[in-house]
Amino acid sequence: MRIRSAWLSLTAVAVLVAVACTPGGDDGGDEGETRQLVWAIGGAEAQPGGVHEQVAELWNEQNPDTPIRIELLPEEADQQREQQALELQAQGSGFDVLGVDVIWTGEYAENEWLESLEDVRGEIEGATLPGPFESATWGDELWVAPYNSNAGFLYYRTDLVDEPPTTWDELCEEAISVAEDEGINGFIGQGARYEGFVVNWLEYYWSAGGELYNEDQTQVAFDTELGVQATEFMADAMADGCYAPGFNTAQEEEARNEFQQGNVVFMRNWPYVHSLLEEDEEAPEFDIAPLPTFTGDGTISALGGFNNGVSAFSDNIDAAKEFVVWAATNEEAQTMLATEGSVPPTMASVYDDLADDPVMALLGDVLGEAKPRPPAPEWNEISVEMQRALFPAVNGEADIQSSVEAVRSHLETTVEQ
Amino acid sequence: MADTPVAPARSVEPAGPDQSSVRAGGFSERTLARLFIAPSIILMALVALFPVVYAFILSLNEYTRRQHVGFAGLQNYADALTDGRFWESLRFTLVFTVTSVGAEFLIGLGFALIMNQAFRGRGITRAAILIPWVIPTVIAAQMWFFMFNVTPGFINNVFGLGNFNWLGQQGWATFAVIFADVWKTSPFVALLLLAGLQTIPGDLYESAMTDGANALQRLWYITLPLLRPAILVALLFRTVEALRVYDLPQVMTGGAFNTESLSILVQQYVVRTPNPGYGAALSTLSFVIILGVGLVFVSMLGRQLVIGRTTER
Repeated sequence: MRIRSAWLSLTAVAVLVAVACTPGGDDGGDEGETRQLVWAIGGAEAQPGGVHEQVAELWNEQNPDTPIRIELLPEEADQQREQQALELQAQGSGFDVLGVDVIWTGEYAENEWLESLEDVRGEIEGATLPGPFESATWGDELWVAPYNSNAGFLYYRTDLVDEPPTTWDELCEEAISVAEDEGINGFIGQGARYEGFVVNWLEYYWSAGGELYNEDQTQVAFDTELGVQATEFMADAMADGCYAPGFNTAQEEEARNEFQQGNVVFMRNWPYVHSLLEEDEEAPEFDIAPLPTFTGDGTISALGGFNNGVSAFSDNIDAAKEFVVWAATNEEAQTMLATEGSVPPTMASVYDDLADDPVMALLGDVLGEAKPRPPAPEWNEISVEMQRALFPAVNGEADIQSSVEAVRSHLETTVEQ
Repeated sequence: MADTPVAPARSVEPAGPDQSSVRAGGFSERTLARLFIAPSIILMALVALFPVVYAFILSLNEYTRRQHVGFAGLQNYADALTDGRFWESLRFTLVFTVTSVGAEFLIGLGFALIMNQAFRGRGITRAAILIPWVIPTVIAAQMWFFMFNVTPGFINNVFGLGNFNWLGQQGWATFAVIFADVWKTSPFVALLLLAGLQTIPGDLYESAMTDGANALQRLWYITLPLLRPAILVALLFRTVEALRVYDLPQVMTGGAFNTESLSILVQQYVVRTPNPGYGAALSTLSFVIILGVGLVFVSMLGRQLVIGRTTER
């Protein structure tokens, strides 16, 4: 009897999580007539004192009749998704507003967990940057309201590099030669086998001109040749020392540590790193630039961030809808994201007012060119398949051509259904 | 489940069919015992058996992500058994199990023999040996990630290996995960073996020494045979645990470089890219594998218990 499969422990965990996350909808909400809206969102900024809480307070001041409170979800995106899924799968009304990662839109829409926002589309579309808006739609329908965004930057050492490179090849040449002179390493990004690896790979692939799907995501537009180019670049960078030795085990924080300690010349990372580097007096002198491309024209970045969805099982859909539209289009709330936290807003006009802030100024340029990963219901599976095919190829353990073809054929299985 | 202690005079003759002393209520002693045990058996069945049966039922159904599509028969099993990924993770799991349990046994036996000696500072040595076992596995895994990883690279610094990428290449990644597991659980094996060692009467060694047996002979002809039950229990526990390893490879490598264990694969299909039918099929398969290996040990142990005197688990 003491032999148990991992299944059992998983079940136990699931039960515990379910118990832990059955939220206060029943116990805390019945204060007279007004029932509090519940906003299920996670991450550092959802913590007490974080910027999401300040946004909630602002809403409560302006809308005392329909106050909202945050139901804090875990830090990890996967765990946030799992907690929301447990509530929504059971059709629970515990969450009214959901913090939805840009890559979950399709999955949530397909599961019928979200209330469509088509009736308020006009209001939102006019105010929002195009990339974040695209990430909020699936099947040509608006499912969530954009809230905050994210994009990759090139961080470089100003004490070692005069001008940031504009092409990937230039970057690698410079990374190798400077690193050799200084006795440090070249370039680091997110090369461990996880979602971040796919993000990094896509930035090469997109900057070569590639696409995964056509406009309305009904057909595969994957270009094998460009896929090979992107993968070959990474494999070469790995082999010739352009990438720092820890690249293939690095996530965001490992990359940041390397750069912060002055061990690398270049780094690809998210905007949050900027303030951490500025606060650290020991950190090397640095600046930020748009990510290079293969041609040297423009820039491209994978889009991150969170949007707000209205739960289809909410008891107060109208108020929840008002809130998500407000959070997407209220200038004060959107500005707050940038000024009180280091969270990139999605509202276009906010960036004009924040032109003095170097991070926001650069974001204003980069976000216009940022591309969302396809928010398809099967994105998680696609991502896992891409990791499984491309990671060994980048590490010189699999044939590049056939790995890229494997990605293409997997993408094709996703549209045939 | 040990039998309830009976009066010492009876324990010479273990409970046999001849002991059907009928009580006033009409129940024999044996029936009464079964009656008393029943609640705990039922509870254990609910806790342990129900999920297994439920997983099996799930595994016969087809899902598209979370949506139930219909009855699938054994299709999920066929898919799993033809999926190269299942065999790769099974291979890693077996390699991990055999090497880590083997190393843990040898090191644990060494530790146990040391801890069983009488010497100054024995208490401190015992405590020191047990420290790794006390650390929660995820924390140990994160710690060894930092030790092995290029950044910050403690191991590379200590041994002057430059930027050797332990976790970023085939083979060495497996080695690192196994190393961390051996570090973590050798003390546990040592603890179990130490308990076994302490049941061996000292006069056996004394008479062996009188007969002129050297240390190696004493180990081979006295310690190891008498330690057999404890060894089997230690190996059973460790093998079963190693077969369901999840946290160490998940934290240290994320399953990259052929370090994806069966449990990581199951977790992926249950949580990350949900497909309850396929996930349940995979977990049922790993359950069967683990059950099979467990039963081999239990049957060896059962024979041992009949022959030997020790009932220590």
